Amino acid sequence: MRENGYLSGSNLERVLRAGRFAVTGELGPPQSADGSVIREKAALLQGACDAVNITDNQTAIVRMSSIGAGTIVVQEGLEPVIQMTCRDRNRLAIQSDLLGAYALGMRNVLALSGDHQTFGNHPAAKNVHDIDSVQLVQVIADMRDKGVFQCGEAFKGQEPRFFVGAAAAPFAHPLDFRPYRLAKKVNAGANFIQTQLIYDIEAFKGYMEKVRKLGLHEKVYILAGVGPLKSPAMARYMRDNVPGMLIPDAIMERMSAAGAPWAGKEELSKEDKKARSQAWREEGIKITIELIQQLRAIEGVAGVHIMAIEWEEAVRPIVEGAGLLPRPVLEPAA
Amino acid sequence: MIVAEAKPLDEIKRLVADAEKILVVGCGTCVTVCFAGGAREAAVTASMLRMAGRLEGIERQVTDVTVQRQCDWEYVDPIADQVAAVDLVLSLGCGVGVQALVERFPDAWVVPGLNTKFMGVTLEQGVWAERCAGCGDCLLGLTGGICPIARCSKQLLNGPCGGSIDGHCEISAETPCAWQLIYDRLAGKGKLDALLEVQPPKDWRPARHGGPRQIVRDDLRLNEAEVGQPAEQEA
Amino acid sequence: MTDQPTLQIVAFCCHYCAYAAADLAGGLRLQYPPSVKVIEVPCTGKVDVLHLLRAFEHGADGVIAAG
Repeated sequence: MRENGYLSGSNLERVLRAGRFAVTGELGPPQSADGSVIREKAALLQGACDAVNITDNQTAIVRMSSIGAGTIVVQEGLEPVIQMTCRDRNRLAIQSDLLGAYALGMRNVLALSGDHQTFGNHPAAKNVHDIDSVQLVQVIADMRDKGVFQCGEAFKGQEPRFFVGAAAAPFAHPLDFRPYRLAKKVNAGANFIQTQLIYDIEAFKGYMEKVRKLGLHEKVYILAGVGPLKSPAMARYMRDNVPGMLIPDAIMERMSAAGAPWAGKEELSKEDKKARSQAWREEGIKITIELIQQLRAIEGVAGVHIMAIEWEEAVRPIVEGAGLLPRPVLEPAA
Repeated sequence: MIVAEAKPLDEIKRLVADAEKILVVGCGTCVTVCFAGGAREAAVTASMLRMAGRLEGIERQVTDVTVQRQCDWEYVDPIADQVAAVDLVLSLGCGVGVQALVERFPDAWVVPGLNTKFMGVTLEQGVWAERCAGCGDCLLGLTGGICPIARCSKQLLNGPCGGSIDGHCEISAETPCAWQLIYDRLAGKGKLDALLEVQPPKDWRPARHGGPRQIVRDDLRLNEAEVGQPAEQEA
Repeated sequence: MTDQPTLQIVAFCCHYCAYAAADLAGGLRLQYPPSVKVIEVPCTGKVDVLHLLRAFEHGADGVIAAG
């Protein structure tokens, strides 16, 4: 730890260390080399989040690199959380990219295994998986705390000092092992955790109870994942196709009910469809706000991670609705 | 065993297109057991090539022979004359067999008739599954005898990832999650503690990433005198 | 197609049923095209894909395994 007491001094770390309920967002880079897309999305998230995750070829679809996009985000005055998957890089590439990211001003990293490449637009690609996400957490923490590369050699000069994050999927299988896998990530050196999307509060309470029994909530900041639903169809798709995604019937019904005024009509005009979509989205935002309020009441939840996939406009109203604005402005770490 | 699958006939036809005399060489070991390149498949392939040639108006001489193991010199040496008599050898051995024929018969032109798939088991007749990736540093002792290198889609050493659901992998419902299997196995044996330890990054050097592999066992090698001509030694 | 006597058909017939039937047909003086070549086998289970291929290679237009 540095003299100022911070591991990385990132805004996210400072907010969490100050005991404030943290808010992170997500910014998906474009499938192009157009930096203006990043600037537009950054403007939507500015002031609404303490830091924003920059996805790393999410769902194995080639996009602008997380560090490239993160550089633009830094320029825009927003703090990025660089997502780093083990799918596309070996330990050499991961470490050198992280050195570059640190030099470019990035201070948070989220270590992930990465979605399998067969899901994406280059299914014929060779994957890497030289190290896994738990080992990646350890590599990044050791760079900072021990000042060494993965091979054990010491840095010749400034070591990268990142606030190290990892993901948790509370409802993936085997369910009983999930709190222990979280423990492994904490033991490996994770400082914060962002969870898969949570819609089932009761199930998540059960998970958090086990997490607390292991004392993990005192060793790591847990940010619960939330995300606004856009339509009943999206909710059904996620519930039925995304591993470990629990969406209770009550939420499914609320989404359907939001579109009820248009349900009986035989043919919907363009305006009708627009109005229905609007109603669904409003309900999605409302549900998310309520979820945040419920999550906030769970002991050990240190913040929320809002994943508004290709819907960055939704983040500010959600954060505002949840009573989490304005975001704290803390003195930079010395 | 090594599990292989026949290449599509069209591809084989392209590979043998220029040849008039062809010898199809089957292998009596792994690829016989997986019905890909044994004596029967060699005879069927030869017959198909003869017919395919005739349909194209080419009168090809295609014969077949099967050796017990294409990867051992002592079994391939006896077919030297047959190999010398043809323009092309179509090997129905695994990739090792093809290369053994190339090494032993450098004058011959040898092409593969199979795609070598993996090292695996026969789950039931007609179903084979990968079990070993030949990583060179076996860790089955840590994982209850279920290999995450060969059977986890992401080769995780600290699995399972968040894509494990209902016992299967995120890539398909037909792919069992190796880490669910490991978890169940260790839970059944009361050894779950083994999963709590963070496994460090793997040394991939023994796994081919350190370059092509070779094993030299000095205790088994013959010394120079033994390698020499026995007749000379006696003299 | 069966009306065209030029088509060469190879029939692998089981000793116990199809071949016996062909024998009976002969006894009853029933006619079948001379282009059908009957090969008696102890059981059609013995007929291998190689037999079928060999028949085609030797110019058969069709092969019947009857048992």
